[in-house]
Amino acid sequence: MKLSLPILALLAAGLALAAGLQPLDEAGYQQLLASSKGKVLVVNFWATWCAPCRKEMPELVALAAKYRAKGLQFVTVAIDEESDAATAAEFVAKNKVPQPAYIKRFRNDEKFISMVDPRWSGGLPFTVVYDRTGRKVRVFPGEVNIRELEETLQKLL
Amino acid sequence: MTTLAAFAAALVMLGAPGKVDVIKATDLDGKPVEIQTAGKITAVIFISTQCPISNDYNERMKALYNEFSPRGVQFVFLNANSTESSAEAAEHARKHGFPFRVLKDVNNVEADRFGAEFTPHVFVIGKNSEVIYRGAIDDSRPADKVTRRYLQDVLNAALAGKPLPVTETKAFGCTIKRVKKST
Repeated sequence: MKLSLPILALLAAGLALAAGLQPLDEAGYQQLLASSKGKVLVVNFWATWCAPCRKEMPELVALAAKYRAKGLQFVTVAIDEESDAATAAEFVAKNKVPQPAYIKRFRNDEKFISMVDPRWSGGLPFTVVYDRTGRKVRVFPGEVNIRELEETLQKLL
Repeated sequence: MTTLAAFAAALVMLGAPGKVDVIKATDLDGKPVEIQTAGKITAVIFISTQCPISNDYNERMKALYNEFSPRGVQFVFLNANSTESSAEAAEHARKHGFPFRVLKDVNNVEADRFGAEFTPHVFVIGKNSEVIYRGAIDDSRPADKVTRRYLQDVLNAALAGKPLPVTETKAFGCTIKRVKKST
């Protein structure tokens, strides 16, 4: 059986969904922020093509587990195209990345980047910390300094 | 803080380099290179050997160089990643048949000055040595989904002496791997 590229892309997207990668657009990000009020929220933007992102993920996942009971919500957003959706889903499953785990489906990458943080150029990884009121309190461009992130969380939780 | 001081602080935060009279780097044999910008339109592009995003732009960068270099645009391709050696950059350039020279930005000095953060990150310097554009090459990693060709449009406008269609854009890319500097 010969499958066309659009059908393969749909299959990849389906696999990603099955593995728990939910599509996220601009409105979805705002909803996520709104629904996370009352918790400390850490959002990590990563991609399958980003080596430092893959490297830091296990530490972030461990930190998320450590502070989950205290009210930490850890959310990941994969900055991958549909063609890499299955690879992203596989990485999430293998590394036991907690849910909700998202994959980008932004209408406009540039506007999304500015919406998350005007100082962000788009380089990955990028991690944002919000306090319980939904206020953005810290951003980590590039690889997270895990000690600094933990200190930030301890102050907020 | 005065409004002017606040604006200056914001510029520093965004990494605006101000006037760039000369770009200092080393060639892939380790020899120092200085590139003057006065009187020329210069496109500085920070690239990577390993970053898949940067590599997705190899053919587009070659096409831009082949189109605009004969029209007088000076291109400076810089590799500022501390994790990528000169030998690796040379092999990468050979493998991909780059028609342009790649330079090494040792200790990411120019990346710091420009505020370059990811690859491929572009800075266009005008004839007066001021940075007139910073951002992405275009608006889509997959070449077949490009709708806006930022760098091409900026260079065409700059060459024609027309207002630039855009001065700053953002895009997803690989963070430049900087050397750790003591503070």
